Formats: sequence, C-alpha cells, structure tokens
Amino acid sequence: MKPKHIFQAEKVVAGYDDKTVIQEISLEIPSNKINVIIGANACGKSTLLKTLARLIKPISGKITLDGKAISKVPPKQLARIVGLLPQSPIVPEGISVADLVGRGRFPHQALFGGWTKKDYEAVAEAMEIMNITELANQHIDELSGGQRQRVWIAMALAQQTDILFLDEPTTFLDITYQVEILDLLTDLNRRHGTTIVMVLHDINLSARYADHIFALNKGKLVADGTPSRVITSNLIKDIFGLDCTVIKDPISGSPFVVPIGRHHVTYGTGALS
Amino acid sequence: MLLFALCWGMLLLGSTVYPINDVLQVLLGEQIKGVSFAVSNIRLPRMLAGLLAGFAFGIGGNTFQTMLRNPLANPNVIGITTGSSAAAVFCIVILHTSDAIVSMASIVAGLATVLFIYLFSSGKTFSIGRIILVGIGIQAMLNSLISYLLLVGAQQDIPAALRWLSGSLNGSQMDELPLLTVSVLCLTPIIIALGKHLNILELGEQSATSLGVRTNITRIVLILSSVCIIALATAVTGPIAFVAFLAGPIAKRLVGVGFSNAIPAGLVGANLVLASDLIGQFAFEVRYPVGIITGIIGAPYLIYLLIRMNRKGELS
Repeated sequence: MKPKHIFQAEKVVAGYDDKTVIQEISLEIPSNKINVIIGANACGKSTLLKTLARLIKPISGKITLDGKAISKVPPKQLARIVGLLPQSPIVPEGISVADLVGRGRFPHQALFGGWTKKDYEAVAEAMEIMNITELANQHIDELSGGQRQRVWIAMALAQQTDILFLDEPTTFLDITYQVEILDLLTDLNRRHGTTIVMVLHDINLSARYADHIFALNKGKLVADGTPSRVITSNLIKDIFGLDCTVIKDPISGSPFVVPIGRHHVTYGTGALS
Repeated sequence: MLLFALCWGMLLLGSTVYPINDVLQVLLGEQIKGVSFAVSNIRLPRMLAGLLAGFAFGIGGNTFQTMLRNPLANPNVIGITTGSSAAAVFCIVILHTSDAIVSMASIVAGLATVLFIYLFSSGKTFSIGRIILVGIGIQAMLNSLISYLLLVGAQQDIPAALRWLSGSLNGSQMDELPLLTVSVLCLTPIIIALGKHLNILELGEQSATSLGVRTNITRIVLILSSVCIIALATAVTGPIAFVAFLAGPIAKRLVGVGFSNAIPAGLVGANLVLASDLIGQFAFEVRYPVGIITGIIGAPYLIYLLIRMNRKGELS
C-alpha cells in the first residue's frame, strides 16, 4: 500500500497573467482516496488541479506536502510522489506505446544511468494494469481514443507516484470507455492505495466513483465531503444554475442527479425524491 | 562505417590520387615528397573541418527540432545562422576586426537572434508556428542587411565576407580547428546528458513539469549549447546549407524513435558534409563548394515538408 501523505492548500489564489481564477481556496486532500473536483465550465476546476500539481505558480497562498511547501521540494523528488496527466498531452511523432510509457520513469533515473530492472518492471506493470501490454510495440497514432488514454494513464502509473492528478481523463471518450477508465482508476486506488485527484464533467459518474468531492463555484470552494453529503439539488442549482431532483443511483446507491428542463416534465418536479 | 570510408575518400582523392600506403605513412608522421604537403596541409584539414562542422550542425539542428517538435524549427530556417553571418560580415567589412572577434561576434549574434525571435514570438501561449514565422521574417531582414553590407564594403574585404555566406571547406586551415574540436568535445556531452530531458520536453510543458524537469533552465542550456556549437562550426566552414535541417530527420528514420537521436544526427551531419564535398569536388567539371550541393539536396526536402505540414494544418 502507498504511504499516507498530507497534501494541503492554504488560502491559495491563482490564475493566468493578471486574471485571478481561484480565490483563497483552502483544502486538504484525503490520502489514499479517490477525490473528484466538480463545477461548471470556467469555474476554475482545471486551474485548481494545475495549481495543486505545480503547473501554475499560485499568486498567493501555500501548497504543502507533508508540511513542506511543494515549491521547495526538488522537482525530480516531487515527481516521484506527485504525478499529473494533463488534459491534452502532446504525442511525439511516431512514438511507440512502450516508449511513451517508459518516459514516465524519468524521475527515477540518474542523469547518465541507463535502465534498471526496476524501470522495466514498473513499465510492464503499468501496461498490465491498463490492459495495454499487447499494444506495446504499436504506434500511438494507430490507437483509438480510449486506448490512447489508457496509454497516457499507464505513463503516469510508470512514474509510480503516491498521488496522481488527472485533468478530465474521460473527456472525449465514449461512455463505455469512460466507465472503463474510471474502473481501472478505482482498481488502482483499491489495490495500491494511490491517492487520486481528478476533474470530471459527469456529475453522476463523479458521485458514483468518488470517495470525496470538492465542489467549485466561480473560483471558490463551496462544498466538500462525501458525495451523498455534497450532491444535493440546492448545490446543483447553486453551481450549475440547473433545477434538478436528486435520486438514489439504482446500481451504486450514490446520489444521482436528474435534471429538470422546460420540457418533458411529465410527472411533476418532486416525483421520485 | 560510411563515415570512415568518406574520411579516407577525402584524404585519398584530389587532383592527384595517392596510394593508401603513402597517405597512411604521412598520417603517421613520415615525410613523403609531394604527398605530405597535399595531405597534411590541404586534405586533412578539409576532412577534419567537414567532419567536425557536419557533426556540430547535425547535433545542434537536431536539438532545436526536437525541442520545438518541428523539423522546420532549426537554425538554418529561422535565421539563427543568418544572424551569425550578418554579424561576421559586419565585423569584416565595416569594423575590420581580427578573426577571433569575428567568431565571437557571430556566436553573440546567433544568441541575440534567438532572443529576438523568442521575444517577438512570445505571447500568452508558447506557439511553435509563431516562432517559425517570426524566424523566417528575421531571416529575410538579416539577408537584406548582408546584401547592403556587401554593396558598401571595400572590394578587398568581400572574399573574406563571402566565406561566411556560403559554406565551403576550401581553404580550411589546421589552426582553425582546435577551437571547434574543443567546443564539440565539451558541448556534445552536455547535449547528450540532457537527451533524456529533451525526450521529456517533447511531451509538452505540462507533462515535462510533472515529470520533474525544470523546463525553462533545461531549454536555455540546450539552446545555448546548440547555438554555440553551430556558430563555432559556421566560423570555420561558413553556413553549410541545410545540414542542420536534414540531419535530424534522416537520423530519426535510421535509428527509429525512442533512442537518443543526438549522436546519430551528428554522424549523419558529418556524413552529409563529407559526401557532399566529395560530390562537389569531383562529380562535375567545375568544383562546387559543399554548401551548393547540400542546398540542392536540402531545398526540395524543405518544400516537401512545407507541403506535408500544410496538408496536416500544422502551419496555422
């Protein structure tokens, strides 16, 4: 099992150039759990994730890992504990699956050192977890969107970090692949105890797969806790401006948001709650 | 292997062809009348200059292309070598400075050109297309500056200046080589050591940062090393057209993706220069400088790349 880490943000303000996107967010990420950040478009979900994963320097505030500011930890050492899968990573031309996954080993390798047995094992294991072992020698350009995303996650896994950030890992994927990816990430969390922090668009999948939810509205953290505590019709109205009724997911028992639009309201607005 | 054969070709061939034995004996330090002079004063420096400069162009160009993820992004196309040439011509024609200062000026100008391109093309986001377009623009400006300098320059300075404009191994001297040798020997290990970092930079800014690469400092060190190595090579042979541009992609074809491409690119560069020089010397009635031959090979490839990238929509 992965060790426990205390990852905290304290009054973090962040943004791009002179535009502030995130306003004074303080939070602690529950260790060894699956955490999901939700919120409307442009509410700062992605910015928050990038700031936590040190891609964006906060304008003010502090982000600490086990009590130490992440900006003070040497980058390579930090990269052995905290990993990130960006929303649209760049594929180098003509690269093979195994080669790409292997690049995740960078923070574990010495400047002039070659590949160790541990490196090969980590890459093989990552490909196995993501079910892409048989694709090892294929070129990335030949893969489907779902396979490609599994390859990127495998690269992040090869990095063998205790904490893994993922920026919308299911966007642009068919529903089948969305569920597949979330299942694989859950396997990873349950088997290895990897702390997962991700931004997801689908509220109902978030509510089903998350242990802990952070809800953002206009750059502020408005609620955080277990899905059943956080996902209420009031919160959805607040952050998305959408009327809804929240029922129990018939499969998982987690909260399930049923939107109420202007049409097709056949049974009234409170029918199932 | 090919490189080895080409090196020998450079030593053996000339207006008179000498037997291998004689050349070997001269290299080992013996004096043979006639052969000694031709080999150690003309052919050996020519071969070594081609070898080192080709290697330098290849490895430097490849670094740029990989870092910017675009084969067009290399010192020949985006005006860095032209910057070096313009400064050198300015020093020769207007300031009449010594050779050492000319070399220094060319290195400084190469770096200044990089800085210029960077400043002009940096917006809110890092755009490779913009870097290339700005670079091509700067290249055109510098070329017109060079034309102006040649027009106003004194007649007797023009030949020295021309050497900086078209790559040639003619008149390479033994005493020009130590500086280039030392810099190739010093800078190559730096570029190789950063090869892994370069591979990671290729994944983009965000992935690179999260894998623990200090992206800015790595980029600066790589740019400095590549520009220095290319400018020093240019100081010896002049800008040999398209070698920095061709070597990287050819090497990648040969060794496949995933391996460090630096050394192969350097070797391909050296091969290209030596082979082109042999072709230039002996394939035609007239002797052409090496830059003309590499230009003939390189220009169609540039056009092919532009067409292919335009189809893919990568230029916008």
